[in-house]
Order: sequence, then structure tokens, then C-alpha cells
Amino acid sequence: MVTQLVAGEYHLSYERQGDDLILQMGPQHPSTHGVLRLELVTDGELIKRITPHIGYLHRCFEKHAEAMTYPQVIPYVDRMDYVAAMSMELGYVLTVEKLMGLTDLPERLQYIRVIMAEFQRIASHLLAVGTYGLDTGAVTPFLWCFRDREKILDLFEWASGARLLYNYLWIGGVMQDLPPGFAEKAMEFLDYFEPRVKELNDLLSFNQIFIERTANIGVLPPDVAISYGVGGPNLRGSGVRWDLRKEEPYCIYDRFDFDVPVGTGEFGTLGAAWDRYMVRVREMLESIKILRQALDQLPGGDPNEAMPRRVRPPEGDAFMRTESPRGEIGFYIVSDGSEKPLRCKGRSPCFTAISAIDAIGRGGLIADAVAIVGSLDIVLGEIDR
Amino acid sequence: MRQYLLNIWNAFWTVLVGMRLTWRHLFIPAVTVQYPDERWTLPPNSRMQLFVNIDDCIGCRQCERACPVECITIDLIKAVPEDEREASTGHKVRFHVTKFDIDMAKCCYCNLCTIPCPTECIYMTPSYEDAAPDRFDLIYHFAKIPPEKIPELEEKARRFEEEEAAKKTKKKAAVAAN
Repeated sequence: MVTQLVAGEYHLSYERQGDDLILQMGPQHPSTHGVLRLELVTDGELIKRITPHIGYLHRCFEKHAEAMTYPQVIPYVDRMDYVAAMSMELGYVLTVEKLMGLTDLPERLQYIRVIMAEFQRIASHLLAVGTYGLDTGAVTPFLWCFRDREKILDLFEWASGARLLYNYLWIGGVMQDLPPGFAEKAMEFLDYFEPRVKELNDLLSFNQIFIERTANIGVLPPDVAISYGVGGPNLRGSGVRWDLRKEEPYCIYDRFDFDVPVGTGEFGTLGAAWDRYMVRVREMLESIKILRQALDQLPGGDPNEAMPRRVRPPEGDAFMRTESPRGEIGFYIVSDGSEKPLRCKGRSPCFTAISAIDAIGRGGLIADAVAIVGSLDIVLGEIDR
Repeated sequence: MRQYLLNIWNAFWTVLVGMRLTWRHLFIPAVTVQYPDERWTLPPNSRMQLFVNIDDCIGCRQCERACPVECITIDLIKAVPEDEREASTGHKVRFHVTKFDIDMAKCCYCNLCTIPCPTECIYMTPSYEDAAPDRFDLIYHFAKIPPEKIPELEEKARRFEEEEAAKKTKKKAAVAAN
């Protein structure tokens, strides 16, 4: 790749050829879901190359974590993927527990973790689905999705005290036990929410205009998805049945009965934007299934029985990956036996998704760029950390 | 041609399906809360504004150590034995807390400071309307001791320490003499 100086100061990461027009999309663009800059090389209406430029939201999470004690890192982990903070916490907490060899955890704690993670998955998918509708020009589903998401945030606020950045799942415990009556309220929400998914399908998913707009753009073939390391709904949208909850069950996911929805290509090409979108919608229904089972079986007891007073893992390292709403979130932590991690690395699923955008979007139309970025459901806070 | 017409029909039909839904939603009461005029009540354990009940603070600095963003600043002066008092939880207060500042602009509302507090005197309240026009108005001073009293307390603590030291050397001398 050749860098070229433009207007005296500006570096482009390619060699300009002929009449190429360079279009800078972002960093302040309403549809890029954060501060992402896309450098589009266009030939007329066609995209010849997309180069994502990241780093506008870099907050030194990994370096900062080295100066914090293990429990103090959790608020920072929240801020990695701020629309799925519970899932981030779960990944980090499980890694530290693996490092400490903490395996004998109370039943209730395990169930609380699954409940929180699955509620977070629904909330996160609601945001992804709603904003994707917004990207393609449908405003109503966005508002309806947010209305339902608010109800989940209410539940979270009731349990943890915060609406977005919870700091709720702790190492070997939770901040506080679920409030009495939580299971009933949660069930009430699920009964309310299940028909809403059908409404969403009627309104947006099976709308012919939406299908025409999305079913044949941004095709990510399965082999390309695997070679880029894309995970989560983006990978399953390409028809690959890979879900860590099934393949490498962590927590107690092996006890629940649920399916892994994959893209089918029923309205167009397999692995198109519509498939990725539809996998998210179907995953919400699977999450409801898991939640119903978990809430039914929720045992009593004290979830904080096994919580260590001081978190001081032995020397060594641990890597743990979990299925966050956006894909495989991995944490690699090296401990030197002190109270602070020596190294804390986060493996971001959005980063791999955005790295594949050139393979997905090349040859498409400029007008589709927004629809393609939206279908990947990226959160810049997690990419830049 | 058939496919073309079918597409048009499908588009019309699916839009109509959506329209039926939106029409039904017209008669559902709005979920929007008209914020300044109406407010919903937050759950009692909501994590908003930090508050310190300074009478119960024993000056152990646990919250200061637990804070990941260092938004709590505490200054202490050791109290002489006759000034020691008891907090409402029965803990001995051995320090004068001369400064207990919380910078709410820095606070990340993580609730880590309230957990280790032995007297539970620092906690998060559900009050959330605390915006201020000036950044420095967001630094909350909880210490009650007036600043003009600080030199006096310092002097007292210094004198007490000197007396203690003198006692110790005397004792040592006595032991040595024996």
C-alpha cells in the first residue's frame, strides 16, 4: 500500500488512479454508529475500496487496566461496549475467575449471570435492529425497539441501580442480590415482549421494501467470514452454525434448550445484510426461551457466598472467550501475583467485523455503504477501547 | 413481468400490514414521560449523586482507595483521646476529617466506594438533577470542620504526639537506668 500526500498534510492509504473520487464518510456521520471514518474510493456510484479508520474513541483501556486492581477494572470494562455492558462484565469476570481457579460458585449466581447476559443480548439486539431500520429509512421500528429496550433497562436499574454502565457482575459474586419479585417482573416483560417481536417482523423484517433494500447487498460469504475471524450474528448470518454458548458452554448454558439461528438466504443471497439482521431478530426469540427456563429454575440462596474478599490471582495467565451480542469477546489477562493485572487484553468482535468491511462492501453502491455498516452492528467503544 | 407485478403487490401488501400496526398503535397511550413536568420515581438503590454522612465517617480512607478514578480526596488530623467520639454504628472516630471532597465531575457512578465503608456513611442517592454551570460547583465538600479551626487541631495533635514521644523516651530512660 502506498501512502500519498493530499493537500500538503493529508495522508491517504492508497494510490489514486485516474478519476477516482475519494469520499470521506465520518467521523461525524449519523449512520456510522459512533466515530468511525470510512475512506471510500469511488468510481462513479461504485465503491472501489473501503478503508475504515478507527481510533477516535481510544481511551487506553488496556494500559489503564494495568494501573487498577481487578475489581476496579470492571467499570472500565463496562465502557468498552457500552450498549452490552453486562456481557462485557461477564467475559472479564469469567476470565479473572479462571485465573484464580474459582470454580465452585453458587447456583443462584450462575443463574443471575445467564439472566443478565440474555436480557442484555435482547437489549443490544433491539438497539441493533432498531438503528438498522433507521439506517435504511424506517423510523417507527426504531422508536418501538427503544420503547422495549427501556423496559429492560428498567429491570437492570432495579437490580443494579444503573441503567447503562452497571458494574453489577463481580468476581465471584454480584454487587447485590436480585430484588424480591424480580423473576415475576421479568416474566411479565417476556410475556409482553414476545408478541412485539412478531410486530417488528410485520412492520420491518418482512416488509418488501426493506427486503429489496437489504437482501442482496453486503454479501459476506461464509469462507470469507471465517477467514476474517468474524463472529457472532455476523458469522451466523452467513450460514455458519457457530455459537460459543453451544460449542464451548460457559456458565450454565449447557443446561438450557435453545437453537442457534443462522442465515438462510430466503429472500436473496446467503450472508447478505438482511440475513445478519434476521439472525438478530431470531436470536431475541431464543434469548426469551433461555430466559423463561432460567427464571423458572432460579434457585434461592446467597449469590455472594463464594465472593473472595481480596482478588489476588496466582501468577499465570488466562484467556476466556464468551458470546457477547456482537460476537466472541475474549479477555487475556496476565497476572504477576499482585492485586493488579500485569496485562489485560480485550479481543473485540466488532474490530474483526469492521476489518471485513472492505471484503463486504467492495463493488457495492455508495448508497449501500451505510446499510452495510449498519448491518454489522459495530460499537466503536469496543473497537477502539 | 409476473415477478415485477408480484413485487409491487408484495410491497403494497407488506406496507399495508405495517400500516395496520401503526394504526392500532395510534390508540395506545403514549409511553413518553414529559420530563420536566412529570418524573418517574427511581428505585431506591439507584446510583446517582454520592452523599456522605460525615458524622459517621471514621476517616479510614477505604473509599478513597477503592475509587478507580480518584474522585475522593480526604485529609485527616489525628484526634487526641479526649476528642475521640463514637459514630452512630459504634465505631470509634479517631480522626478529625478536615477535608472530604468528592468531584462528581470525575465520578463514574460505579458504587465501588460504598461497599468497603465500615459505617456505611457514604452512599449513592437517587437524586439526579445536579447539573451546575461551573465545573468547580460539582466538587462537593462534605467536611464540617471550619478551616480556621484546622491549625488549632493540628497544634493539638502535634503537642499530643510530642508528649507521647517524651513519655516514651522517659520510659526508655527509666528502663535503661534500671
